[in-house]
Amino acid sequence: MATLAAGTASRRRNNTGPAHRGDWRLAAVLILPATVGFIVFGAVPVFRGIYLSFTRFRILTPPRWTGLDNYRRLLSDDVFWKSLGVTVEYVVLSVVLGLAVSLATAVIMHRLTRSTVVRGIVLLPFLVSGVVAALVWQWMLDPGLGIVNIVVKALTGHNVLFLGSQGWVIPTLSLIGVWKSMGYNAILIFAGLQTIAPQIYEAGRIDGASEPRMFRYLTLPLLRPIMAMVVVLTVIGSFQVFDLVAVTTKGGPANASNVLPLYIYSKGFTEFDFGYAVTMSMALFVLLLTITFVQLRLLRANESDTN
Amino acid sequence: MSRSRFIRAAALTAAVITAVAGCSGGSSGDSTEATTVNWWTWSPDQAIAYQQCVPAFEKANPNIKVKITNYNVSDYFTKLTSGFVSGDAPDAFMNSVTFLQSYAGQGQLLPLDDYIAKDKLDLGQYAIGAEGWKYKDGKQYALPMDWATGALYYNKDLLAKAGYTDKDVASLNWTYDGGGTLWKMVKHLTVDAAGKRGDQPGFNANTVKSYGLGNIESTGDPFGQNAWGWLLPNDGVNIPDKQQWATVFNYNDPKVVKSVQLVRTLANDGFTPKLNQFTTANSQQLGSGKVAMAVGGTWEAATYAGLKNTKIGTAPLPAGADGKRALMTNANGNNMWAGSKHPDQTWKWVKYQESEECQTTAAKYNASLFPSIAASMKALSDQQTAKGVDFSVFNNYLTSGELVPCPIYNNGAALTNAMIPQFEAYFTNKADESIFPKLQEQSRTLLAEEK
Repeated sequence: MATLAAGTASRRRNNTGPAHRGDWRLAAVLILPATVGFIVFGAVPVFRGIYLSFTRFRILTPPRWTGLDNYRRLLSDDVFWKSLGVTVEYVVLSVVLGLAVSLATAVIMHRLTRSTVVRGIVLLPFLVSGVVAALVWQWMLDPGLGIVNIVVKALTGHNVLFLGSQGWVIPTLSLIGVWKSMGYNAILIFAGLQTIAPQIYEAGRIDGASEPRMFRYLTLPLLRPIMAMVVVLTVIGSFQVFDLVAVTTKGGPANASNVLPLYIYSKGFTEFDFGYAVTMSMALFVLLLTITFVQLRLLRANESDTN
Repeated sequence: MSRSRFIRAAALTAAVITAVAGCSGGSSGDSTEATTVNWWTWSPDQAIAYQQCVPAFEKANPNIKVKITNYNVSDYFTKLTSGFVSGDAPDAFMNSVTFLQSYAGQGQLLPLDDYIAKDKLDLGQYAIGAEGWKYKDGKQYALPMDWATGALYYNKDLLAKAGYTDKDVASLNWTYDGGGTLWKMVKHLTVDAAGKRGDQPGFNANTVKSYGLGNIESTGDPFGQNAWGWLLPNDGVNIPDKQQWATVFNYNDPKVVKSVQLVRTLANDGFTPKLNQFTTANSQQLGSGKVAMAVGGTWEAATYAGLKNTKIGTAPLPAGADGKRALMTNANGNNMWAGSKHPDQTWKWVKYQESEECQTTAAKYNASLFPSIAASMKALSDQQTAKGVDFSVFNNYLTSGELVPCPIYNNGAALTNAMIPQFEAYFTNKADESIFPKLQEQSRTLLAEEK
């Protein structure tokens, strides 16, 4: 290793000027930790994962090669497809609602106040740990004792099983998710709004455009790169939802909130069916890869659009 | 100059980090020094209870220290598995029979037969549970720690108001054909906002103020143990085809279908709360008068007895049509890990823990377990009776011969995870009886899966 490095160094010395002499050493030292980290925690697990997805792996005994069995099982596993459907429903609700709420919040902040205190308050839910937020919401939504249900009962005369009925559980969970991430997204959009030059609005006003019209034809197009980034982040984050569901419903009732990460976890860690759990992770990986790729293409299109 | 110093510093830092990260578990296998036996449980109450046994044990075995650790049940088995893999699982631990097959089948448990033979330990001293810890290879993998089944807890005032005596509750029956006298009593005990009882004309199921029975629709395992599944075997309705290593769960048996229908109808008609309607424990619902009776575990006896402002009665689970009971009894086991570095010392602790002396000490400390050893159970029962808690039901359970061991089967976790959501769908009226043939087929596949 050392001789090899020395050899490379002597060959290189001829091509580089004295100012850059020895740069490769510093570069190697600086890159080394990240490279080791990437290989140990990134590359090796991915390749081992790909291998394990073709095996029956019960973790306590060595994996046994089973070819495409796990993938065949995946195609005919009703719970997996239902779980995927539930996850997509959660993602769509979270992204649409999250985006609308964050945008509205950011625009209102932008128009009414520059106060850092207000910005801090808006950001507050994001700073709360996911498990704590889930527990607090679970208490507030409790059908018998929760404050939300006391209000709902006073208004309608009925309790609502927010987390306990098939119809309500995913909308409720995505609202909690939106509540939690809304502040962060709003701050991102707010920062985007601040980059828009006031002269543009001035020009709009001179041309006699109304506020809603300016929002539609000036603000939104100019915000598109930021919005696209927020969408990408929200989609990936929502697909990976775990703590919220694990704390509040554990996938119930009747698998109505059994999102994909939770299903993967329970196959792996409660049934010791790691081979199949890895296969599902691979499916999720490919799915996210595709979605992100498509979104990045859209993002690039947006940038050229606004310039 | 400064650059080379930086490189050296960086290299040094990296070296230090590597050294720290690579820190090793020190070896402690020296026999002259004190060894530590690690023991795990998921029950916080039992962790404290067994801690009471430690001083006497350590005094008798000065070279052995015992460390008891408690993890929440939802993380317990994950933690155990990762311990098996990484090599730092506890030397011995409390286990549920659900995981016997997956742990013993993968060589993680130490068979105890040699130790039992060497010390001439009499498994006959355990009134119940020893048989259930024998694996397919015929070896004994655990000493039974306790026994547990269900009981009927009831609010004495609410029952007196409805005109029932303690004797009425004790002589209830339940049949898959109509629900027996239990169902009648539950309906009469249900009261709506206008004061009408469930069996009176004009009863409004939408405004129930006090339900006759706590919800029994939860399904903690493939056949509703700890809820509806406690009723069925008493009337001869059994879901597994065999007591040990079943090949199919007969969900589509007409008796099973009728039983499960009865349970759902009771909730639909407003005589029990709906699934997930209350998030508080059954004992709290009983204490606040929201329900008049509840099916609960024997391990909850002390909790129910401790309810303030409410007089609680305890009755046996309802008998079947023939007046007999089959009380499905679960016994947790004290397992030893095959990878333990000190099996001999660990065995000493396990043997002491499941001895009459320690069982009596632990059980009497907080009544968090019912010992398998009859003498220890009697000691607990005497102590509780002196405190004014009625333990006669539990004593009768042990002497009447009505306790039957829980079924043992393959692939417990997968079956549980597959069945719970489908029963939830049925009980919340999102699925109908057509799912039962499918469940039965699914169970056949999962039970056949050998690891």
